Amino acid sequence: MQSIDIFGQIGLNHYLILSALLFVTGMAGVLLRRNIIVLLMSIELMLNAVNISFIAFGKYMNQLDGQILVFFVMTIAAAEAAVGLAIAVNIFKRYKEVNIRFFEHLKG
Amino acid sequence: MTADIFLFWLLASVTLLSGVGVVLVSNPIYSALCLAMTMVGVSAIFATLGAYFIAGVQMIVYAGAVMVLFVMVLMLFDLKTEIATFSRGRISGAIKIAIVGLLAGLIAGTFAMTTTIAGKPETKEKAGHAAKSLGELLFTKYVFGFEALGVLLLIIAIGVVGLARSKGGTHAKH
Repeated sequence: MQSIDIFGQIGLNHYLILSALLFVTGMAGVLLRRNIIVLLMSIELMLNAVNISFIAFGKYMNQLDGQILVFFVMTIAAAEAAVGLAIAVNIFKRYKEVNIRFFEHLKG
Repeated sequence: MTADIFLFWLLASVTLLSGVGVVLVSNPIYSALCLAMTMVGVSAIFATLGAYFIAGVQMIVYAGAVMVLFVMVLMLFDLKTEIATFSRGRISGAIKIAIVGLLAGLIAGTFAMTTTIAGKPETKEKAGHAAKSLGELLFTKYVFGFEALGVLLLIIAIGVVGLARSKGGTHAKH
């Protein structure tokens, strides 16, 4: 381990570790929460964390390709949120709750 | 401590704290507000990394459109009587948290042990020039992905309208 002072200089690793922590937070949300809406929000959190590391790599390697990928990820994320929320609305119309317990109803 | 370093730590702490808030707050409305704060923080981080155009798009798409979508759906539901916020079971919860912590430790340890792969970033480009070259790259090298994304968005728009109009899906009781 190199012993540079982490507070004196901001490098690529700072952004990558921030991205990892944000991703892990979203993952904890997906694992721990029971509300479908909050689950979708946690997924958005994970996608944003990945975007941060794309942009950071793109900056420190002087390439623009990372930013293009961030475009694509954003579009997919917006589409995913739209579909997920439509499904959540349908579930709420049927079962009058958005708790993940509704999966018990899916047993054949 | 220069302004850049201070800005990074400020933005990182704001983003992380509001991200943790999304997971920990039990009221979904407050979760949505925390998520909006996280989006704004991430957008500011993009701006500090020199990706000004992406920062603007992030503000418009996420902090604008996606958050409005979430808040609208939350408004449709009556979520004042939420029964179980977190999943049941202390042991399984502890295992989940341990797994998540292990993943975080692994990633952070990997970054700490690798030597720096990339060099220093070059001198800052002008913002307008960066957006221009971004567009050129999008319409030359990645034009196939761009078109495929357009087709995907069309399919999703049709699918969501169909989903919203369906009455109970395949197991409808008429």
